[in-house]
Amino acid sequence: MVESAKARGRIPNARRQFLKAGLTAAGGTLAVASGVKAAQPDPKITEIQDWNRYLGDGVDASPYGSPSQFEADIVRRNVPWLTADATSSVNFTPLYALDGTITPSGLCFERHHGGVAVINPADHRLMIHGLVDRPLVFTMDDLKRFPRENRVYFLECAANSGMEWRGAQLNGCQFTHGMIHNVEYTGIPLRFILEEAGVKADAKWLLAEGADAAAMTRSIPIEKVMDDCLIAFKMNGEALRPEQGYPVRLVVPGWEGNMWIKWLRRLELGDKPWAQREETSKYTDLLANGVARRHTWVMDVKSVVTNPSPQAPLTHSKGRTVATGLAWSGHGRIAKVDVSIDGGRNWSEARLEGGTSKGVYRFYHDFDWDGAELFLQSRAIDEAGNVQPTKDQLRAERGENSIYHNNGIQTWHVRQDGVTENVEVS
Amino acid sequence: MSKFLRPLIAVGFLGGLVLVAQPASAQDAANGEKIFKRCSACHAVGPGAKNKSGPTLNGVVERKAAAVEGFRYSKAMTEAGKNGLAWTEEHLSEFLAAPRKKVKGTKMAFAGLKKDKEIADIIAYLRQFADDGSAAKPEQANADGAIQSNPGMAEAEPEANASEAEMAEETKKQQQTGAGEDVAAAPKAEIADGAGESVDASAGDEEAAGQDVAMAPPPPSGGPMNIGRPALEDEIAAWDIDVRPDGKGLPEGSGTVAEGEGIYDERCASCHGAFGEGEGRWPVLAGGQGTLTDERPEKTIGSYWPYLSTVYDYVHRAMPFGDARSLTDDETYAVTAYLLYLNDLVKDDFELNSKNFSGIDLPNHDGFKPDDRQSEPQNAENAQAELCMKDCKEGPAEITMRARVLDVTPDNADSDEQDELGEGAID
Ligand code: HEC
Ligand code: HEC
Repeated sequence: MVESAKARGRIPNARRQFLKAGLTAAGGTLAVASGVKAAQPDPKITEIQDWNRYLGDGVDASPYGSPSQFEADIVRRNVPWLTADATSSVNFTPLYALDGTITPSGLCFERHHGGVAVINPADHRLMIHGLVDRPLVFTMDDLKRFPRENRVYFLECAANSGMEWRGAQLNGCQFTHGMIHNVEYTGIPLRFILEEAGVKADAKWLLAEGADAAAMTRSIPIEKVMDDCLIAFKMNGEALRPEQGYPVRLVVPGWEGNMWIKWLRRLELGDKPWAQREETSKYTDLLANGVARRHTWVMDVKSVVTNPSPQAPLTHSKGRTVATGLAWSGHGRIAKVDVSIDGGRNWSEARLEGGTSKGVYRFYHDFDWDGAELFLQSRAIDEAGNVQPTKDQLRAERGENSIYHNNGIQTWHVRQDGVTENVEVS
Repeated sequence: MSKFLRPLIAVGFLGGLVLVAQPASAQDAANGEKIFKRCSACHAVGPGAKNKSGPTLNGVVERKAAAVEGFRYSKAMTEAGKNGLAWTEEHLSEFLAAPRKKVKGTKMAFAGLKKDKEIADIIAYLRQFADDGSAAKPEQANADGAIQSNPGMAEAEPEANASEAEMAEETKKQQQTGAGEDVAAAPKAEIADGAGESVDASAGDEEAAGQDVAMAPPPPSGGPMNIGRPALEDEIAAWDIDVRPDGKGLPEGSGTVAEGEGIYDERCASCHGAFGEGEGRWPVLAGGQGTLTDERPEKTIGSYWPYLSTVYDYVHRAMPFGDARSLTDDETYAVTAYLLYLNDLVKDDFELNSKNFSGIDLPNHDGFKPDDRQSEPQNAENAQAELCMKDCKEGPAEITMRARVLDVTPDNADSDEQDELGEGAID
């Protein structure tokens, strides 16, 4: 244990040095061994390695397994100076280091407004009341008697990319796009809970409330509630992580993450919305003319190239390479993703791999890099026909003070030496 | 002391032991306890005190700065500790008078205590707590400040020790048998509550209090699947505190600007500033009227919020930060009235009550419209049928803007540029 803890400390440092060096080396090529050096045999092959001779750990060395020690640098990160305190803050999913479509539970970004509530499931209660025939209380055991479903959905914070409205700011897709995750939920259709209580005819809205120190609340229109919302208690097959709302959270597919109330404890039916702080002071989108849009729930069609990107520069010289990224839309499925390597002059359709309605899709663009600088962009189109706009189009429509719902096209500048930077282009 | 004690939230459980050993100047300490309310949003003391947004202050007097394990201090505070800063009476007094002057770059967002007497009293109060939150030995709690030994070595009251040891045992057992299992007796349940991972915010009090409701076999729900049990009126009343713009949910009550000022200064100003201007990066609550079309709008209750009901509802459910649900209905009326006053919306003799509440419109009442994003050109009905794939723009791409922050976790957390960037960026 002690040994590996040491290794943990070392590896990431070395890696960070490497990244830093990459960012500052003016024009120099990255001195990374790539491909085959024919002249001398590789000692990693010709010499017997320790791991090839000595025994490794037995079973149970890590009863709840964790990633390889060589991945210790792949973690959620925050930007401490963005907020006053870690209990009301956010950290970001390391998208640059992930592939496929499912986000590992421990890497799903966190956003809380009053810290992580620690709740023993035996003490948790879910109440439904208001415009219902029978106000009810459920325990966690009760909830597990309802029929349940498995669904994969993305959860994106409405403020994802919010720092980029005024222009390129943060250098890494973890920070520009990392307020998203995509996991498989096991949960109960919210409809069943409402039907159990008997919804009155004049009930048009649902107020959902969390049990945390922020007692987070949001109003949700009844059509959405009856359509596809879930009450989830598992993510990726395991119990929800505490920071994701253990023991139970709301799932509001395709809609902004703030509505997915964590530590869900109360559902109230009513005839009007409640105009809570998170739907007035926050999560309203201020336009250039001083008027703000409210109830902007749906997350628009969006995509981003995750590799290469500032935290994952190209480390080989010219030749065959892969650009990959993620695309998603709160309106449903992704119809196609186009990739440009010249800043939007020419586009080619990328290959989609995996993906679900209101879930994340993975795309790949496989090409021969000629070694010249690249301006990498991706553009997603969803099944409803919505097209991901450029950042300039968005600014022309909305100004720069909207904070939320920035789904503009991201540009990465890949230099000849492989170093990659967040830029905007003409 | 024992690791097992750290996660305990021993509300009113061991609390009685705190004042066992009275220091020489008991009166100063008693006054200090009152002043400590200004700190308690961020700091806890006493047995089982956890780190909040600030470190626990058990045993802090005479100790090295930045010594609470597991608390993430600012770089400035860590350095100060390394360079030998210790919280002697003298240094602590200077720090509490002007935190950011004493430790430049500290993340303690607190303007400072104005009066020497207040500072002396609060130090007398803090002296009473040994490292583990138990009462410090009388000779160590001597107000002369003649302490040489490390208060960290202070021993707890023997009695306290015994019961704490028992509780630690319990906790251990709970952990071994799985804290999630059926906890019957209330005290045990309280232990189990805290036995999870240690986090900054403690679970709400209701959670600890709300056990043992459904002991008798519950009556059936009467719904199609017959799952759950009827909710009782008292239960609904305990949780249903939301207030709507039309006044639905507003409790009877009243409060004046003058009453609100007292509460605000004591319980809100340390974060939100004496005038609602916001200390450090804590939210701004007042001002900003007429700035919504500016390059950097300031969104406050007076400049942006559409409804007064939201102020009442939110403060009542979530503030003061770290001590939610601690304001009474009347106190919430009073603070709400004071927030109106700070925003120049009412006079200083104003009283807010359940009768006049719904008649008050905030200035930006009409500043909102429904979501009409679908009318923008990029969206479905407007998007071009044929997307451009070739030669879509003239000339090669030119860089018009570069990332402003290359190293996203910078050493100097307080540069102006970052402040500017951070403002309102992720809320
Ligand atoms: C808004 C939150 C906040 C308030 C209010 C506040 N503090 Fe702090 N305090 C902090 C934080 C955060 C730190 C850690 C500072 C750092 O790391 O730079 C701290 C650090 C300290 C320290 C140093 C602790 C150590 O271990 O070195 C002392 C002593 C202290 N505070 C006393 C007080 C007192 C007394 C009050 C009330 C008069 C008070 N604070 C009010 C947040 C607060
Ligand atoms: C320890 C610091 C602290 C104290 C003390 C505190 N607040 Fe807050 N307040 C916060 C934080 C942090 C937030 C934002 C929380 C979030 O992330 O959702 C906030 C948010 C608010 C807001 C909403 C601001 C907005 O623009 O949306 C209001 C109103 C408010 N507080 C009022 C109060 C009142 C009234 C008190 C005293 C009774 C108080 N606060 C005490 C830290 C504090």
